[in-house]
Amino acid sequence: MTGLRWKAATTLALTLILSWLAAANFASPETRRAHWWLPDQGMRLGLDLQGGIHWVLGAKLDVAVAHELEHLRGRLASQLEEEKITPTRLAVDGERLVVELAKPEDTARARELAAESGVLESAEQGDARLVYRLTQQWRKEVREKGMLQVLEVLRRRIEDPIQGIQDSVVTRQGEDRILVQIPGGQMDRGRARELLEVTGFLEFKIVQDSAPSEELLRAKHPSGIPEDQEIVFERDKQTKRAIGAYLVRKAPDLTGDYLSDARVQFDRQQRPVVGFQFNAEGGRLFGELTEKNVGRPLAIVLDAQVYSAPNIRERIGSQGQIEGRFTSQQAADLAVVLRAGSLSIPVTIEEERSVGPALGADAIRSGALASVASLVAVFVFALAYYRLSGVYAAIAVSLNLIYIVALMSVFRSTLTMPGLAGLVLTVGMAIDGNVLIFERIREELRRGRTPRAAIKAGFDRAVLPILDGNLTTLITAIVLYQFGTGPIKGFAVTLAIGLVTTVFTAVVVTRVLFALYPGERRVTELSI
Amino acid sequence: MPFELIKHDTRIDFVGQSRYAVILSTALLVLSLAACFWPGVKLGLDFTGGAEIQARFAPEAGADEGRIRKALEPFGLSTADIIRIGEGQAHDFLIRFQSESAGDRGELADQIRDALAKDVGAVTLERVDFVGPKVGAELRERGIEALLIASLLLLVYIAFRFTPLFAPGAIIAQVHDVLLTAGLMVVLGREFDLTMLAALLAILGYSINDKIVVYDRIRENMELHTTHDFPNMVNESLNQTLSRTVLTGGTAIFASLTLFLFGGPVIASFGLAMATGIVVGTYSSLWIATPILLWLHARYGAKAPAKPTRKERAARS
Repeated sequence: MTGLRWKAATTLALTLILSWLAAANFASPETRRAHWWLPDQGMRLGLDLQGGIHWVLGAKLDVAVAHELEHLRGRLASQLEEEKITPTRLAVDGERLVVELAKPEDTARARELAAESGVLESAEQGDARLVYRLTQQWRKEVREKGMLQVLEVLRRRIEDPIQGIQDSVVTRQGEDRILVQIPGGQMDRGRARELLEVTGFLEFKIVQDSAPSEELLRAKHPSGIPEDQEIVFERDKQTKRAIGAYLVRKAPDLTGDYLSDARVQFDRQQRPVVGFQFNAEGGRLFGELTEKNVGRPLAIVLDAQVYSAPNIRERIGSQGQIEGRFTSQQAADLAVVLRAGSLSIPVTIEEERSVGPALGADAIRSGALASVASLVAVFVFALAYYRLSGVYAAIAVSLNLIYIVALMSVFRSTLTMPGLAGLVLTVGMAIDGNVLIFERIREELRRGRTPRAAIKAGFDRAVLPILDGNLTTLITAIVLYQFGTGPIKGFAVTLAIGLVTTVFTAVVVTRVLFALYPGERRVTELSI
Repeated sequence: MPFELIKHDTRIDFVGQSRYAVILSTALLVLSLAACFWPGVKLGLDFTGGAEIQARFAPEAGADEGRIRKALEPFGLSTADIIRIGEGQAHDFLIRFQSESAGDRGELADQIRDALAKDVGAVTLERVDFVGPKVGAELRERGIEALLIASLLLLVYIAFRFTPLFAPGAIIAQVHDVLLTAGLMVVLGREFDLTMLAALLAILGYSINDKIVVYDRIRENMELHTTHDFPNMVNESLNQTLSRTVLTGGTAIFASLTLFLFGGPVIASFGLAMATGIVVGTYSSLWIATPILLWLHARYGAKAPAKPTRKERAARS
């Protein structure tokens, strides 16, 4: 007796708590924050229901390996130079570092230096030709570091404290993929795409020579441009046509790595510019650079494109401005990119899906309609077929739905469009547990048991197939979760939660209801 | 008296009828296979890669396929698939085309929108999906992997919960269910995308659920009535669970059909697949899984109290 009261009481308490959690989902965020007795956050809506954009970006990790090899090549080159050894060939070829030397004793020395680095292993052996590659371990580390760097930069760009996007998501997917989600209509596709793909590598280079076009520039250097220099262009933002050609050294005089901050500012004519600030070391280097080059133009190059090339009028300390016929928006975006840092390896957009809010609202509406229709059908069927016991089943199924919503709120899971379909499906399938029990009870009654005994036997015998059946569907839900992407993961989560609550409501809740009536009473006939 | 849809003393000879069922299934499976060549399997964006735009026009715009196609010409997309979705005078159009990189295709979408707004009428791009070919191929692979792994896990589960004798019947029924459902979807010309995959996996789960209820009853009867001969007992078990099978299947099919009717284009396919899968799954529980179980039991089921073997029976008569 007390066992029953306890069960009934806990079930009721659980129901009340979960109902309150489920209902809280309908309160707006302001209401939630205002009242301490409402949880701060609940179930989230997937992008396919609230609208938004979702990208899957691929990071080119091979480039990280190439950069590392290039860095090692440079180091080996300078080490050999110190020892007055000149290799006939020292180059990076794919994922290999090739060293060819004239004299065998030089080869031996080169081999020693390579071994000292600790990260090179020999890929081929020859007398005068050494071929190296990165060790397995180091290669993995380099790729991993590249990935983490890119993830960090993208996070900073999207979640930027000054103009970051609320509720955005930047997470890693697998070894080399990044998932970015921007909900709502907060950012237009084009801008967001640029923010994600732009490398953001800022360089400051003293201009050796310039001309309005490439032909004119080349005409000034009839014997060709020096090997360690290159031509970079300034382009008009709208038409993308080159409006200036600059001859600069390939190696930058200073890079954006030394920046500590970047903000949108307005110059004397109220035009937007990007003001930047160097850190201590950068400030010192910049001071030296500008001091030595007063009167010459300094090209500010972003991703190999010249933004502007003002003349250096005097020594500049640690601050400066980049001007360039920006709109306010463009200036703000550039500031974000500079603040976040540059991507060490390129990323490409491999998947882009965007959903307008109207479509999402449509989906929610149809999902709600389908759930109500299913629920009503289940009610009608249950009552007509099982009478009073059908009422119990109807209660169980309704509670089931409430529990699912409540649990999804607790776990802050995301409801997606397929997830909504999963809910409807669960409503249709949840009755199965009760059907199994009721059919069993009917059977036991037919065999001549008393109502009480029949109820007990029905539950005892039916629990096992209910558990088994739902457990197997749970297995498929887990597999779905592992192999699915966003919306499908949402379906798997909703399905899985639904399976757990179904077992509970079918077995525990219905039992309690039966124990309340008929309970211990002597009844001749069971309304089932 | 309680209302019974299936009378409790129903005695349908499922076991006897199963030979016809096997013939039917084989025929349908062959048909499904043929359907893979004609009309052919339609793969959705998720698996092929490419671009898909759902454009919603204002009713006054009077948008139609022809005008849209003309507006798309400057982009070299006059051969794109253009489909009106929704019933009757609906104003949503699906525009599909192949593209290699997802990156600049994004800008293309904005340009397309401007062109459509200029040439056809006020439009919003409700949905813009670009899937790179690499991602498409990966999703295809993972989709098949998912089906295989789920089947394997379920097989192992059945072998553990019951005896290994029960497993082959379940696995063959599973494969049968997925292939037949997928085949019927191909015949109906439905598209295979991630949502369809989710449906197939959900059907796997439902189908196994069904088998387990039946197997559980068989096991119970085996323990209680050791003198029954196996085929007859299996038949009885099927009849005993018939009521539940039909009722639950019924509600589940109803729920799936509401999805099909009210769900909107993406979910409608899911609902149809689920409804079909439930019917197929129920059918295979009754007529396909059991003959295999019986066959295995007759050959290897030494644990069961000795039925007279064919030799002995022949010797007696």
